[in-house]
Amino acid sequence: MAKHETPLLDQLESGPWPSFVTDLKRQAETKPECWDILGQLELSYEERITHWKHGGIVGVFGYGGGIVGRYSDLPKRFPGVEHFHTIRVAQPASKYYSTKNLRQLMDLWEKYGSGMTNFHGSTGDIILLGTRTENLEPFFWDLTHDMGQDLGGSGSNLRTPANCIGQSRCEWACYDTEAVCHAMTLKYQDEIHRPAFPYKFKFKFSGCPNDCVAAIARSDIAVIGTWKDQIRIDQAAVKEYIAGNYPSNGGAHSGRDWGKFDIEKEVVALCPTQCMWMEGGELKIDDTECTRCMHCINVMPRALRPGADTGATICVGAKAPILDGAQFATLIIPFMKMSADNEFEELVEFIEKIWDWWMEIGKNRERVGETMQRLGLPAFLKVMEVEPIPQHVKEPRSNPYVFWSDEEVPGGFERDVVEFRARHAA
Amino acid sequence: MALSKDELKAAILEKAEKSPKPQLYIKDFYACDPETKPRDIKNVANDLVKEGKMMFWSSGSTTMYALKHRIKNEEGSEGI
Amino acid sequence: MGYNPDKPMDGRISDLGPPHYEQFFPAVIKENKGKWLWHEILQPGVLMHKSETGAEVYTVRVGGARLVSVEFIREVCDIADKHCDGFLRFTTRNNIEFMVDSKAKVQPLLDELASRGNKFPVGGTGAGVTNIVHTQGWVHCHTPATDASGVVKAVMDELFDYFTSMTLPAQCRIALACCLNMCGAVHASDIAILGVHRKPPMIDHLRITGVCELPLAIASCPLGAVKPAKAVVDGKEIKSVQVNVERCMFCGNCYTMCPAMPLADPEGDGIAILVGGKVSNRISMPKFSKLVIPFLPNTTPRWPETVAAVKKIVEAYSKDAHKYERVGEWAERIGWEKFFEKCDIPFTMKSIDDYRLAYDTWRTSTQFKYTSHIK
Repeated sequence: MAKHETPLLDQLESGPWPSFVTDLKRQAETKPECWDILGQLELSYEERITHWKHGGIVGVFGYGGGIVGRYSDLPKRFPGVEHFHTIRVAQPASKYYSTKNLRQLMDLWEKYGSGMTNFHGSTGDIILLGTRTENLEPFFWDLTHDMGQDLGGSGSNLRTPANCIGQSRCEWACYDTEAVCHAMTLKYQDEIHRPAFPYKFKFKFSGCPNDCVAAIARSDIAVIGTWKDQIRIDQAAVKEYIAGNYPSNGGAHSGRDWGKFDIEKEVVALCPTQCMWMEGGELKIDDTECTRCMHCINVMPRALRPGADTGATICVGAKAPILDGAQFATLIIPFMKMSADNEFEELVEFIEKIWDWWMEIGKNRERVGETMQRLGLPAFLKVMEVEPIPQHVKEPRSNPYVFWSDEEVPGGFERDVVEFRARHAA
Repeated sequence: MALSKDELKAAILEKAEKSPKPQLYIKDFYACDPETKPRDIKNVANDLVKEGKMMFWSSGSTTMYALKHRIKNEEGSEGI
Repeated sequence: MGYNPDKPMDGRISDLGPPHYEQFFPAVIKENKGKWLWHEILQPGVLMHKSETGAEVYTVRVGGARLVSVEFIREVCDIADKHCDGFLRFTTRNNIEFMVDSKAKVQPLLDELASRGNKFPVGGTGAGVTNIVHTQGWVHCHTPATDASGVVKAVMDELFDYFTSMTLPAQCRIALACCLNMCGAVHASDIAILGVHRKPPMIDHLRITGVCELPLAIASCPLGAVKPAKAVVDGKEIKSVQVNVERCMFCGNCYTMCPAMPLADPEGDGIAILVGGKVSNRISMPKFSKLVIPFLPNTTPRWPETVAAVKKIVEAYSKDAHKYERVGEWAERIGWEKFFEKCDIPFTMKSIDDYRLAYDTWRTSTQFKYTSHIK
């Protein structure tokens, strides 16, 4: 029996796309608090405004992250969502699951929560949506003891790191994104669970420049796979593409008739650096000119593969627009080897150097990319002990306002104006 | 010379008690001992939470520290 | 055994981190990790990856709501138990992937999915529209300017055929964030649907003393529009703030810092549309999305104005762009003046940047195209 009428939400039950309203109603049969989710949401649809209040003090003891407090501003009318706190559960790398694991988690959430979830939140965690304060500790006890699992990050913490599918099912991954992501997540549990920073901090790990986890757009440290040597070419397969025996782009364009595959037009001419050409029926690449954009490899996955000398490019400082505008991450380290043999020592050193600096210099609620903007890329490179290279910029500066320092100019800044005036009348 | 761990704990608690605002950013505690590295100060502040002497307060996007008796209710309506 | 509230610290476990990923790999994934040679999309929503060992893994990709119930996840588990040896995965864009190790197992899996009504649409691969990544909206968030799940449902109903086919010039990534905080990466999406406020915050003088740290509220404003002020409450003068409304850009950062400054409003709030962003480094460098429609109203429950605007952009792009061209690359090739014309979007004063670094977007050239805008 419906506890609230939901004529507006009911209109979201039709149409071909799966309906969250239908799903909520089904769950309400066993979890009546779902009726209050629907009821409050229906009211928001009527009034076109939210009915949730600001956060507050919720958390499990000793953790400053992993739970986001939420309260209804109409608790009497919708008692089922009076408390509606979110629990973030750290997801396994690449988001593979066994049904055994998922079922166990769902049983826990049926016992302690609203029965609603997000698979997954924007950062990557499993989001368990809506529970009461008194359920948090018992839930956490069962999660850690019965499942051996843990919460993710929230607040001014390291947020749960995330990675692309990587080598587990992708031929382009230039390093083991799962291994690095898992290792860093375990290494920095304290930073994930207890506030450490001026504001949030994110790592994301993509295996190649296609960047399927959007690392360059939304992580403070983006680790994006790349290679140093030549693109590996199978000339026989190139011929198959030219002959039309293999579909372009792995079949991604097969829904429309784009005409016969034309390697000159679709690959050679679209190469951003014009570093490829056809010669005697073979595809030639001047790899010294290649910027590894992935286009030719994406178009002909059976003929071209990334090189074999692989690692990652490290970019720093991406963020969404609040407040001074969106930023992509800036290239800092062009190539870093990613090896589990030394427990990713070079990356760890890089991460901790940034943290030591940002924790001291960063203002409250300032992302590291904003700190970099405020103090300048040269200042950041000095802190990181990285030599400046042309790859750090898109183009040279167009203004001449160079900040020279006292030591850099012969004779220094201290001068005697009296002596100056003796030679130059005022 | 940097403060000992116990001295630092005492300084942090004093700061949290005397501060006009109930919730403090981790950065607010750096001044307790300029000679200790921020990450070490963070660790000591988090030890105080483990010992139950301080608590975390979170808006969801920002996490702060507070003394329990200075926060009046769960929704933090006496705080930020 | 279980949690004992009287002794909360006894036997407490913490800092375990996530479970190791490898235990959740299907056998064919475990055996072939790092050995994959190439892949092919066999039909919309069905991928095949070939290993150097000769093994193949077939992946069936299924779209759906990000907001899902315990019962729904159990249903997903039933399918994975029956067809996939009890394993599955989720993608970054909230799709579910069911994997099987031979071609013969694909059709029975597809049949099973199809037998369950519209709950498991297969698609989201290649040159089409995949699942919309989105935020919480009115279902859970305290700062939204629009809903998330409902808008996404309405848009995906309309774009459904683009999810189940691969007819576009390239992939088209759509994202929704319900306020300017942008919990998702909508700032680098082909099409971004963004909740925006249009009224400055109100000041709740009755509550501000209790709930706000005034210096933080003042400092939170990127344009210095929040200033200290005195107010009278119950005949007593208190310290509060005031807002210079001419300077307010409606970002809501003050409300994030100070709950006594609410700004949400039924008439003020709505949706802006941004286009042309991308994350991939393919051909051109990553791009930010650009704002092309400053405001559409929150017309519940199905946001017809937003749905129509998104569809119009997708259709104009589909008709006009070259193979492999993303929305932003297309707009840059034809020129933004042509983009506005082809998508039938009015260009207004609001379309011209007047925030910081605005000059970077002004045209400082004699190169332009004659469009209907030039009278």
